[in-house]
Amino acid sequence: MLQINNNYFQLFELSESFELDLNSLAEKYREMQVEVHPDRFANAGETEKLRAVQLTSFLNEAYGTLKSPLRRAGHLLGLHGRDVDQVSQSDLGAELLFEQMQLREALDELPDDESALPELDKLKSAVSKKLADRQQNFASNIDQGELDEAKKIFHEMQFLLKLLSEIEIGEEQRLGY
Amino acid sequence: MALLKISEPGGKATQPAHHLAVGIDLGTTNSLVAASCGGGVKPLPDAEGRYLLPSVVQYRENQPPLVGAQAKFNAATDPANTIVSVKRLLGKSLSELTALGHFLPYQFDANRDDSSPAIVTVAGIKDPVRVSADILAELARRAEHCLKGKLEGAVITVPAYFDDAQRQQTKDAAALAGLNVLRLLNEPTAAAVAYGLDSQDQGNIIVFDLGGGTFDVSLLSLQKGVFEVLATGGDTNLGGDDFDRLLADWIRSQANSGNELDAAATIRLLHLANDAKHRLSDAATIDLTYQQWSGEINNEQFAELCDDLIKKTINTCRRVLRDAAMTVADIDNIVLVGGATRMPVIREAVTRFFEKQPLTELDPDKIVAIGAGIQADVLIGNKSAENFLLLDVNPLSLGIETMGELVEKIIPRNTTIPVAKAQEFTTFKDGQTIMSLHVLQGERELVKDCRSLARFELRGIPPMVAGAAKIRVRFQVDADGLLGVSAEELSTGKMAEIQVKPSYGLNADAIEQMLQSSQDQAHADMEARALKEAQLEATQLIDAMNSARKIDGELLTEAESERIMDAVSQLQNEIASGNSNQIHALTERLNRVSGDFAARRMDLHIGKALRGESIEAVEKSAD
Repeated sequence: MLQINNNYFQLFELSESFELDLNSLAEKYREMQVEVHPDRFANAGETEKLRAVQLTSFLNEAYGTLKSPLRRAGHLLGLHGRDVDQVSQSDLGAELLFEQMQLREALDELPDDESALPELDKLKSAVSKKLADRQQNFASNIDQGELDEAKKIFHEMQFLLKLLSEIEIGEEQRLGY
Repeated sequence: MALLKISEPGGKATQPAHHLAVGIDLGTTNSLVAASCGGGVKPLPDAEGRYLLPSVVQYRENQPPLVGAQAKFNAATDPANTIVSVKRLLGKSLSELTALGHFLPYQFDANRDDSSPAIVTVAGIKDPVRVSADILAELARRAEHCLKGKLEGAVITVPAYFDDAQRQQTKDAAALAGLNVLRLLNEPTAAAVAYGLDSQDQGNIIVFDLGGGTFDVSLLSLQKGVFEVLATGGDTNLGGDDFDRLLADWIRSQANSGNELDAAATIRLLHLANDAKHRLSDAATIDLTYQQWSGEINNEQFAELCDDLIKKTINTCRRVLRDAAMTVADIDNIVLVGGATRMPVIREAVTRFFEKQPLTELDPDKIVAIGAGIQADVLIGNKSAENFLLLDVNPLSLGIETMGELVEKIIPRNTTIPVAKAQEFTTFKDGQTIMSLHVLQGERELVKDCRSLARFELRGIPPMVAGAAKIRVRFQVDADGLLGVSAEELSTGKMAEIQVKPSYGLNADAIEQMLQSSQDQAHADMEARALKEAQLEATQLIDAMNSARKIDGELLTEAESERIMDAVSQLQNEIASGNSNQIHALTERLNRVSGDFAARRMDLHIGKALRGESIEAVEKSAD
């Protein structure tokens, strides 16, 4: 199995920070894809094809990670030795959990038909705004090496994104698609 | 060994004459083949100058099957032996087909199990893979006739929304037709290529593809020759045929024709509806006559009649935009693909939704084949690839069954392929030594709502308390969108894996068998080719290994070095033997014993490469 540079920022020659120029990331990614993609090896032997698939898979994973704000945040914490898969209640604090519960209840209480759409919309923009605010907060905390706080914000972002996707599913269901 | 070859993208080391490669659009209603010949990629005509080959196969007693226009003509008189729209049958079980309510005037073989339906014809039992292969073979014959030579490779298009079973069966059909598949390419991606390659456009393209029986929408971004699919969505059971059917029902209800229709009468009615639909593309109102009834219909009535279908297509556009986190304003161009997009009702709905006129310069029936032909030309090495690259996605989420009949998604939909992802699972009973894995495809959370792709078992897990064992399940989707899954118990390294060939697909042995029985001559050729390939691969590997040891020998321990040397010499001795299986086995062995070495070299060189030097430059400096 491949174990190439597991610091995805170094992989793409970007500085190791949450704020990222997505355009230069995309450009670098495309340049690298042109080199390693299996289409470049369509006539090669099976072994080479397999390698190309593995290498490209790695690149895609790295790119996907940096492109997504949440996964990028998780990767940064990982590089600082914090495992985001390990999470305890004390990491989060009662206040955060309580707030998430409230938001979730607000979502659950909405009626099941189209009449809920305006409320869903409101909830969506409230959650999106909160998420944007948390991301900014994450950026400054990780830059200052406040890892515990950054990790807490990461989990909060996780909650908010999950909520956001549930709101969107709710919208789709009510719109009938 | 892979990394040595990385220095030769596209295999440009020796570049002899023009290679014959084609793009094939294997459609529900019609199929086409395109190739580069005399400036640009063009669709290839048959002897009578026709481009579209109706995807219809008529099986006859003691005669080869009839494929195309004549078969289509005969469908009305010989419905039981004439297979139409076989693409709708690919990858489906009989119960699924019945549930979908397709018109199927065939006798299905009662001896087959539900998951692999096959049709009884006067020429024997034919499954959907065989029927598709007969269509592909007809196109291949046409191409070889036009291009005056043997085909070396083909790119075959599939709807982006095709699932694993459908893709696998398409590939199986190509193998059965004797084609070397360079790549399965998603139809919308092919269409975008046909439009975008020569213009230096940048921007976001929506491809709206409504074919005879399938529908998909893709959003691609084009930047400096790289086509990146950002999101895709669709419905493999929605197409122009459905509009025909609605119109046919409407005609029957208008004509008050209550009595049941037999198969032949149904086909005649569907032809009438199909013809009416085509006439509505050129005229606002048309006259209709059916039995004793005559009347008229206009496009507004037609739109009302098809309102649900049209809404479905537009909702798919919405979902795709949402998946890519874009809005209508971000879209620069709309490309229409598939004959069904000629319908004014569809064009209007698309224009209204995207607030923009779609591009219509290229023939929507030919555009996919042209795009596939361009890709084939690049992959076979005729066209300098430069920056031309297609980055596609997997259309449906892939996951595994967990406790409570839930699906844990491992690869979400719209992930760029190829992709590999791993996740750890554990046992739920004390002393559990077997874990059974159920691989699923789909967006829903419950197993019963997703499509089952494969089941396999990992055995020999050491007995431990529940939750102590760590099983890593790894999903790998290749560039054709096909999935392989492996499971490994981490403390013992016990592995089990499966190349997902669901019960719907033929396994490699079955294909081999069918090839053998149908073409003994071809088999001898194949054997010879397999041997040549095996010898070539073995020689390349040995050369590669020798130079790798020269360059990076310090990465090897003495024991490793000995193991590799031993494997090299055994393989060397076997090359002349003429036994391709044995050569293959020893090649694999050499690959295995040198795997770690290769990976270490890869790390070293890629590490260098990714720090700024190109991979090519690294290899050159190493030589």
